[in-house]
Amino acid sequence: MPQVIISIGREFGSGGKAIAEQLAKRFNIPIYDRHLITEIADKTGLTPEEIEKYNEKPKNHLLSRRVNGYSNSIEDNIAEMQFNFLREKASSGESFVVVGRCSETKLRDFKCLVSLFVLGDMSEKIKRVMTVYDLSEDKAKAFIDKKDRKRKRYHNYHCEGHWGDSRLYDLSINSSRLGLDKTVDLLEEYIKSRMGE
Amino acid sequence: MSAAQIFAIVIFVGMFIMIVLDKIERHYVTLGSGLLTLVVVFGICMRSGSAVMDTLALKGFITKDFWYQVTESESKGINWATIIFIAGMMVMVEGMAKAGFFRWLCMKIAYLVKCKTVPIFITFMVMSAVLSMFIDSITVIMFLAAVTIELASLLKFNPVPMILSEIFCANLGGSATMCGDPPNIIIGTSLGFSFFDFLTNTGLCAAVSLIVSVVFLYFAFRKEIAGGKGEPVDMSKFPKPSEAITNKKDFVISSVIFALAVLLLITHATTHLTVATIGLFIAAITLIAFGKHALELIKKVDYKTLLFFIGLFIVVSGLEETGILKLIANFIGDISDGNVMLMIAIILWVSAVASAFVDNIPFAATMVPIIQSLAETSGVPISTLAWALAMGTDIGGSATPIGASANVVGTSVAQKNGYPIGWGRYCKKIAPATVIVLAISTVYLFVRYL
Repeated sequence: MPQVIISIGREFGSGGKAIAEQLAKRFNIPIYDRHLITEIADKTGLTPEEIEKYNEKPKNHLLSRRVNGYSNSIEDNIAEMQFNFLREKASSGESFVVVGRCSETKLRDFKCLVSLFVLGDMSEKIKRVMTVYDLSEDKAKAFIDKKDRKRKRYHNYHCEGHWGDSRLYDLSINSSRLGLDKTVDLLEEYIKSRMGE
Repeated sequence: MSAAQIFAIVIFVGMFIMIVLDKIERHYVTLGSGLLTLVVVFGICMRSGSAVMDTLALKGFITKDFWYQVTESESKGINWATIIFIAGMMVMVEGMAKAGFFRWLCMKIAYLVKCKTVPIFITFMVMSAVLSMFIDSITVIMFLAAVTIELASLLKFNPVPMILSEIFCANLGGSATMCGDPPNIIIGTSLGFSFFDFLTNTGLCAAVSLIVSVVFLYFAFRKEIAGGKGEPVDMSKFPKPSEAITNKKDFVISSVIFALAVLLLITHATTHLTVATIGLFIAAITLIAFGKHALELIKKVDYKTLLFFIGLFIVVSGLEETGILKLIANFIGDISDGNVMLMIAIILWVSAVASAFVDNIPFAATMVPIIQSLAETSGVPISTLAWALAMGTDIGGSATPIGASANVVGTSVAQKNGYPIGWGRYCKKIAPATVIVLAISTVYLFVRYL
């Protein structure tokens, strides 16, 4: 199988992560999401809990500074470690699925990159979040908004393009239209076509 | 309040906010703000061509005083002497780094103390302070932190306390001389002080503070640095100091140039050579000595910092020309009500607290005209206020991870190597050390100058 890197950006509650896991299974390749945290933990000697605390979080501008390219924001440094880790994996020729981490931008120089963005109708996202996190409708909506705001700030701080902007991805898809399984089928076909190029 | 004053304040505050937000690189922020000052404040509001010319201060280049100064004089507008001096030192430091000087020095000292943790801890603190007296603390910490982490992995100790102590001592050492910390260069060149003036005033205070700080930091961190204590150190596993030298000829040349720079700086009050001349001369001989690698050194010069300074000086001139800084000076004069002791304490502690949270370079650049005005109206010697400002900005910057450039670089190097240093970890021991040194400085200023 030729090398393929599947980057999946996602709105919170859209099922993007579940789709990523399905695609990883179908192509029989590893997925880097939470796994990235343990990999970085092994490499640096930090505990996974420490990395988790700062994972995919935008930095606090008032509490950190950047001097000559050196940032003392722990969030920035964890992000940079993850980007480097992904680049190393990509350069080694490994195929993998990666969720978030600005991967559509950070890995765009790799021809084998297929970048996808999964979005969803708010009503569907609320339903999913209510079930998974056992929340009321209002709380689920607030939770989604908070998570997406965070992802957007994280992404837009580290990349030039805007999070969720279709011009940044090869394909943006609303998972609420076909449901998760059929969305995975469609994406699998698309990725296979791309791999055959 | 006039329109010019309002715009000058808005531009200044906007610039500070943009620097903190870090969305746009800081040199673009200060240059953009500087341009706005020139066009809106001086051009549209004041319609003053002379204010523009005074701020650009280009005439200074063709005056003899700029290069060879017999009598002390004060400068206004863009402080070109600071910029040329910093640029010159940057070229020299790049040459030294390329030759492997800093890594060699760190390794040599580690070898001399037989790679034992506690002696390394103490000697590295002293080395950090001494090097920072002549070289920018960013470079000093960049190398020291990297070598500390390397030694920590070999000797199995936690490098964080050592890095934090090195950062603290770098800022302290920087306060001792005119070229140690950018605020001091700005204060020195703006108010006409010499290297020796700093050494005999802030330097003395820094020396006393260093002794106290080394003792304090040792007791604060002694449990953490104990690490591999007791185990015999196998020196054969360590990289040899000589391995750090990339090119022997370059190493010798850069060491000689460094020694020459130190000599010129120490004697510049006697030789009458200004820091601008020294900076230019040191850069020129470094470039000549490195021959075909000269272009490589020039490319490595951090021109962004130089542009940052230029923009900053213009914005501060906006506040100065519109009389805002005079108003602030009068305000300080009023609240201290002629009490010199209170005035010194305000300048020292306000500078320290401000520098702990915002970049101390813009702060010092803003405060210089304020203390000038304050000295004129209150009759307090400008030198007394200058030393209070220098110590406040230099030492205060140590208190938090964002207070000074060395703190940012040191904590960043540690983080990149898997040792995260958050605010809590940083401030727990370093903030008390800062307060102790500020207290020493307060007593020193009161005893010596009142």
